[in-house]
Amino acid sequence: MGIKFNKVDFKYQGNDNKAYLALSNITLNIKDTGEFITLIGETGSGKTTLVQHMNALLTPLSGSVDIFGVKINRENVKKKKVKLNPIRQQVGLVFQFPEYQLFEETVQKDIIFGPKNFGVDEATAIERAKEVIKVVGLDESYLQRSPFNLSGGEKKRVSIAGILAMEPDILILDEPTSGLDPLGRNALLDVFYDIHKKLNKTIIIITHDMNTVYEYAKRVLVMRDSYLVYDGDPIHLFTNKNIDNWNLDVPDLLNLIHKLEEDLGIQLPTQPRNEQELFEQLKVVLS
Amino acid sequence: MDIIQMKNVSFSYQQDQPVLDGINLNIKKGEWVTILGHNGSGKSTLSKLLIGLLKPSQGEIIIDNITLSRETVHEARKHIGIVFQNPDNQFVGVTVRDDIAFGLENLQVPRNEMVERIDKYAHKVHMAEYLNKEPHNLSGGQKQRVAIAGILAMQTDIIIFDEATSMLDPKGRRMILDYMSQLNKEGVTIITITHDMKEAVLSDRIVVLKKGKIIKVDKAKSVLKDQETLEKSNLELLLPLKVLNYLEKENIDNEKVRSYLWELSLTR
Amino acid sequence: MKNIVIGRYIPGNSFLYKMDPRTKIISLFVLMVAVFMIPRDAFEMMFIGIGLIVLLLLIGKISIKRVYLGLRPLMFLLIFTFVFQILFNRQGPELQSWDLNYSFLNIIAAAVLVLFWIFTKKYVRTKILYFAFMLVGVIIILNQLSLGNVFSTGQLVIHEEALLIGFFIMMRLIIIVTLSTVLTLSTKPTDLNLGLEAVMKPLKFLRINTEEIAMIISISLRYIPTLLDEANKIMLAQASRGVDFAEGKLKDKVMQIISLLVPMFIISFKRSDELANAMEARCFIPGATRTRLHQLFWNRLDTVALVVSLIILIGSITVRVVV
Repeated sequence: MGIKFNKVDFKYQGNDNKAYLALSNITLNIKDTGEFITLIGETGSGKTTLVQHMNALLTPLSGSVDIFGVKINRENVKKKKVKLNPIRQQVGLVFQFPEYQLFEETVQKDIIFGPKNFGVDEATAIERAKEVIKVVGLDESYLQRSPFNLSGGEKKRVSIAGILAMEPDILILDEPTSGLDPLGRNALLDVFYDIHKKLNKTIIIITHDMNTVYEYAKRVLVMRDSYLVYDGDPIHLFTNKNIDNWNLDVPDLLNLIHKLEEDLGIQLPTQPRNEQELFEQLKVVLS
Repeated sequence: MDIIQMKNVSFSYQQDQPVLDGINLNIKKGEWVTILGHNGSGKSTLSKLLIGLLKPSQGEIIIDNITLSRETVHEARKHIGIVFQNPDNQFVGVTVRDDIAFGLENLQVPRNEMVERIDKYAHKVHMAEYLNKEPHNLSGGQKQRVAIAGILAMQTDIIIFDEATSMLDPKGRRMILDYMSQLNKEGVTIITITHDMKEAVLSDRIVVLKKGKIIKVDKAKSVLKDQETLEKSNLELLLPLKVLNYLEKENIDNEKVRSYLWELSLTR
Repeated sequence: MKNIVIGRYIPGNSFLYKMDPRTKIISLFVLMVAVFMIPRDAFEMMFIGIGLIVLLLLIGKISIKRVYLGLRPLMFLLIFTFVFQILFNRQGPELQSWDLNYSFLNIIAAAVLVLFWIFTKKYVRTKILYFAFMLVGVIIILNQLSLGNVFSTGQLVIHEEALLIGFFIMMRLIIIVTLSTVLTLSTKPTDLNLGLEAVMKPLKFLRINTEEIAMIISISLRYIPTLLDEANKIMLAQASRGVDFAEGKLKDKVMQIISLLVPMFIISFKRSDELANAMEARCFIPGATRTRLHQLFWNRLDTVALVVSLIILIGSITVRVVV
């Protein structure tokens, strides 16, 4: 189960009527539980196109995507052999800007909009709204407020709650932390990590922040010019020679470790994955 | 000489809820000042006041010896330019060329000179080969570079970068940062508004805002290390400085490592 | 979605592309008047007009296919006016008449044919021709068959005048639309805007601010692709939440449309607010004098084109008055 890409190609029609490659020969497997994946790459490398294939918003030009056993390819979609809506319930996709989805008068109505579209009755949907609003770190008083009078960070949380209320097995977030201040960003990342840990759901995050990648992800996908150029763990990614060609930043943590080793000859016993580990190891080495 | 003076400036949309409260700030010609603050700290309101898009409810603002008022604001804007956060919502022209021309047309620059300046500043931000491109064929970083060229062409003395890099990818962000330091070296007064500490490192001074008030103004070097102040405003220390503070707290006295970490944090 | 953009500019290099947009706009106007001046019985004139248009397309290297694409949305209107004339205009001598037999079985047979047309038309490429076949088929059924009990009879009569007027209206429309298509195909939107602004200048006496109108058009041109792109993203975002835009009952449909429109409006408000700020910050003052990067240059070609258009207008006025 989960999501399987099999040799997927996709092209966009540009404004000048030329076709632009967005995905080239993508083969990829994503499990339906327990993964924490970050997807990185430059603007225009195909990240958003890739995730839009994961819940059948887009159909491959050639090749196929298997989503929870449903085969999505050009022929099946054209002849309406497959139902796309149930897939979108199983794979929840949160868009980059919450403004794209918020439209109801109250936060509660907006959150239950998704579940109701998938046939959940109103009472159950409201119960779910009360749960998910807490999951994203807001309290129940928010439910009766207008989504348009919230701050940027709060809007983002409400839009995520709206997807969580659909109870998807896989949750995908397109640049969820861009524009937030450091505290807001860390708080939101902790929310995702909690969802991943407690509910054992697969989480996929598109991000430009390499610190997020290094500290949180178990697996990293790197897109470059429509190709999937890396699929593996973050530690190997950042020791990879290609990293400069892919225009990626080095995470602060790794940068510091490398610098300490190069310039001061300080060798740490293991490669720390977060600040706390770094502190403790440094303490041991230096004292 | 102070090119910008804010004297006891307050601003509120609604009574009793000041967005900015008693701001006093002087900025010297050629200085690079970073304004740090959490989401909703009032830092974007500050930039709108400086460019005269909002009028202070109290206090006065002087830009290049012009006291801002309804009558003088148009004159003052010839001295100060701003790059906003969203690349898409400040691109006025149908093409790159038209967009750089927009400000010049408003300043009534003669056509011959306009053509020259467009050419010059498009080169400067490395967008010369894109002059005929339309905005929907450009990346966010490219659009921001066009915005910079548009302001440079107007030859203002001051440029504000109001979270201008927050919607860009790392490569786009690095490029904009490079232009900032290059321009500052050429004598342009620069104000960056951000919550990214890496943008603050290169500046001369840092102003920290919290809930509409300035809680700290000082040389960049001393603010960068001030964990207490920064955390009050939802900000994070740069990693080497976090380590430095940790070592101090644990009484690990290794002067070599300490001075190295300090140096490291100040290089980008 | 991208096909919505009306009046697409197609790059080229014929003389039409070298003309000043002002000339093209004024000539279009002059020629339109000329076409309306052609009297209803001056067949020769109309054919000369059509000939001139074809000549213009050939010399101007404008592809006929593009012009046809421009005409296609109007086909319904053209056929409707033609059919309307045929059915209701009873002036002039009779040309042809058919008896029509109305019986239950006849009407059912005709209805079956119409239904067949409705369900099969999407598979046929030449829709107009197919529609004509269907109409002829219905007439033949009603005319030839007299199945069962004929409860009423009627007559389909075509009068000479009807054919003539129908034909003329169609031709006028086609010529006007073709000319406008030539204008938009061969002129960049920015140039077209500049030309319009210049041509509208006299309106300043009516206290209409033509520069502001031009600015509005220019910003609309700039933001049409952005807005279309955004609408598409909002649709995808709502589809992600289970909105099925292809299906749903009427009540669902209303909700679906609201879920699209509200975000569109809110984003557009925010965008226009930010854009206004950005424009003001760059020293834009509404109504103030500005210099312009784009300036229009009048060539000999433009004088020639304008003179030719005027000669055509005078010609058609002369024919109308004298003949």
